[in-house]
Amino acid sequence: MKVLTRAALAAVLTLSATQAFAQVKIGALYPFSGGLALLGDESFRGLEIAIEERNAAGGLKKQKIEIVKGDAVEPNQAVGEARRLTSVDKVPVIFGTYSSSLSIAATQVAELAGVPYFELGAISDPITERGFKNVYRTNPTARDFASRMVDAIGEAIAPALGVDAKSLKVAIIHEDSLYGQTVAGYQTARAKEKGVNVVETLPYSAKSVDLTPVILRLKTAGADVVLQTSYQNDTVLFFRQMKEQGFKPKAMIGAGGGYSLRDTMLAIGAEHMEGALNVDFTQFRTNPKAAPGVDDFVKKYQAKYGTAPRSGHSLANYMGALVFLDAMEKAPDLKAASIRTAVMAVDIPVGGTATGWGAKFAESGQNGRAVPFLMQWQGGELVTVFPADAAVAKMKVGIGTN
Amino acid sequence: MDVLVQLLLNGIMLGSMYAIISVGLTLIFGIVRVVNFAHGEFLMIGMYATYLLATKLGWHPYVSAVPVVVLLFCVGALVQRFIIQPLLNADEHIQIFATVGLSTALVNLALMIFGADLYSVSTPSARQSVSLGGYTVLSGQIVILACALALVAGLHLFMQKTPLGRAIRATAQNRNAALLMGVRVDRIYIISFGLGAACVGLASALVMPLFPVTPTIGSYFVLTAFVVVVLGGMRSMYGAFAGAMIIGIVDSLSGYYIAPDLKEVVYFAIFILILIFKPTGLFGFGRGTE
Repeated sequence: MKVLTRAALAAVLTLSATQAFAQVKIGALYPFSGGLALLGDESFRGLEIAIEERNAAGGLKKQKIEIVKGDAVEPNQAVGEARRLTSVDKVPVIFGTYSSSLSIAATQVAELAGVPYFELGAISDPITERGFKNVYRTNPTARDFASRMVDAIGEAIAPALGVDAKSLKVAIIHEDSLYGQTVAGYQTARAKEKGVNVVETLPYSAKSVDLTPVILRLKTAGADVVLQTSYQNDTVLFFRQMKEQGFKPKAMIGAGGGYSLRDTMLAIGAEHMEGALNVDFTQFRTNPKAAPGVDDFVKKYQAKYGTAPRSGHSLANYMGALVFLDAMEKAPDLKAASIRTAVMAVDIPVGGTATGWGAKFAESGQNGRAVPFLMQWQGGELVTVFPADAAVAKMKVGIGTN
Repeated sequence: MDVLVQLLLNGIMLGSMYAIISVGLTLIFGIVRVVNFAHGEFLMIGMYATYLLATKLGWHPYVSAVPVVVLLFCVGALVQRFIIQPLLNADEHIQIFATVGLSTALVNLALMIFGADLYSVSTPSARQSVSLGGYTVLSGQIVILACALALVAGLHLFMQKTPLGRAIRATAQNRNAALLMGVRVDRIYIISFGLGAACVGLASALVMPLFPVTPTIGSYFVLTAFVVVVLGGMRSMYGAFAGAMIIGIVDSLSGYYIAPDLKEVVYFAIFILILIFKPTGLFGFGRGTE
């Protein structure tokens, strides 16, 4: 009898022990090195915080979640790392990616392997327009960015200036890689649709060391509003040279990227960045009523990394990761088909997450309830100014304090 | 007309920046006969050093130029001694692979140490707009132009008037003959590589007030620097200077009159035409000279 009890006890102990140590691996594919490393790492931090939160609350299906990192600097490497994650590490799902070109490459591998791929940050539209069954995306796309930028002219800028939107001369400038070209393409289309008067469309290389010719062209054209799709270095260069050449448009709107980063503002100087508008993923100075949990996230980030978040990329990844982790929790198992059913059943109203976005996925896998917000640099802070319910400050007119 | 003058001024200022970055590359190529693909990363090292001196010790970038030049001389000398020297008798492409590898290693090293964040030094004195008859240039750009001219003149005097300069010229002309005349060629190579790196060290301290530094900043300048060097005849410092001015002005004008994203196309087209019709470069004299 004693022996039996002991055996039973041992069995129970072993069982509970294996239960406690059971782990579920998930893939995290980001650019951790190379030129994209800064925002790649910033994006990953959002995922990391979401996973820790989930682990603290009992894990996924009572198993501890373990992250397997994949480092992708360029598309070939993204393919290689996605293959490793799906075939060697055999992760049931992959989270990623920040960069669109990396995502386009990696999602192809995951789709073929039948492994769900959760895109939390890349904005290129085609990622979810290829008829894939295992690719889902929580964040808004380039088309959403472009529309918000063009619409801001009529909805926010013209009223603030007290003029008719059609009287404003608008210029589109963009760095000439896929990112800039895509956003500018959608901007041009939207501008045509809305009857916006576009006077110049100027592509330039992000590696340019002199943007004076661009600025002189804008000056000659008499541009009132400039829409810029740029990375960090060219944003800094543009603002510095704009000041040197005495060019002062009535408004400048950036498409995230370099515009959102604190370092950009510091390099340009708060007084010169003052008033610059920016369309991007939700940033931290957003009304918590429209984005419940945003302040909480900043606190968690500060506690874990000892610094304030460097941009809203971490928040977007955090929000997206939670949405998908919740869906996986609800799925009966971690097979691709069950996950798809669970993701398609997700229904979060707008304003229901820390980014302020909702979540409802189309057949394509794209979240239809994600929109970028309009923000503005004011006194060295990037504050949300539009739409009204998410705003924490009133929009100002003009660029620079002097 | 107004715009044209402003564009020409910008072109000259841009050209002087390309010039000061390219002079070191010309020296290394002309004397050591190595295409240094890590030249841009030397610039990056110098910029980070300038940044550190500015933030930790509060030094003005122009003051930092002195220690940065010394530091870069040492970096160049060490690279020559421990990476290029052992490969001196290997095929040329092996040396190219070595410097390409060095460049990748340095970028990733910088990424490990500094991260991908962008750092800039706040030096209002170098960012002052100076009005020249209604056209604007930056004080920092004028400093670069003056330093580029002084550097070329200084190197000219050094090469012509000093025994070491003569030994360097002899080595550049014919390394075997120089060896027979009692010149310590290996030592000359170390010094020359160091000098080339020191030149880009000066450039980095002067450029720092105008451009923020990132691990990949080298790639912004280095391709243009190669065009400048080839355009200038590969071994001539004056050629490099003139080539830099041409590229600077072409860059500025085509950016306005053609399209900002096509300016590289324009100067690479000029570059290819020159290679076809005058393969020694605009100021090339065939083999030899400096």
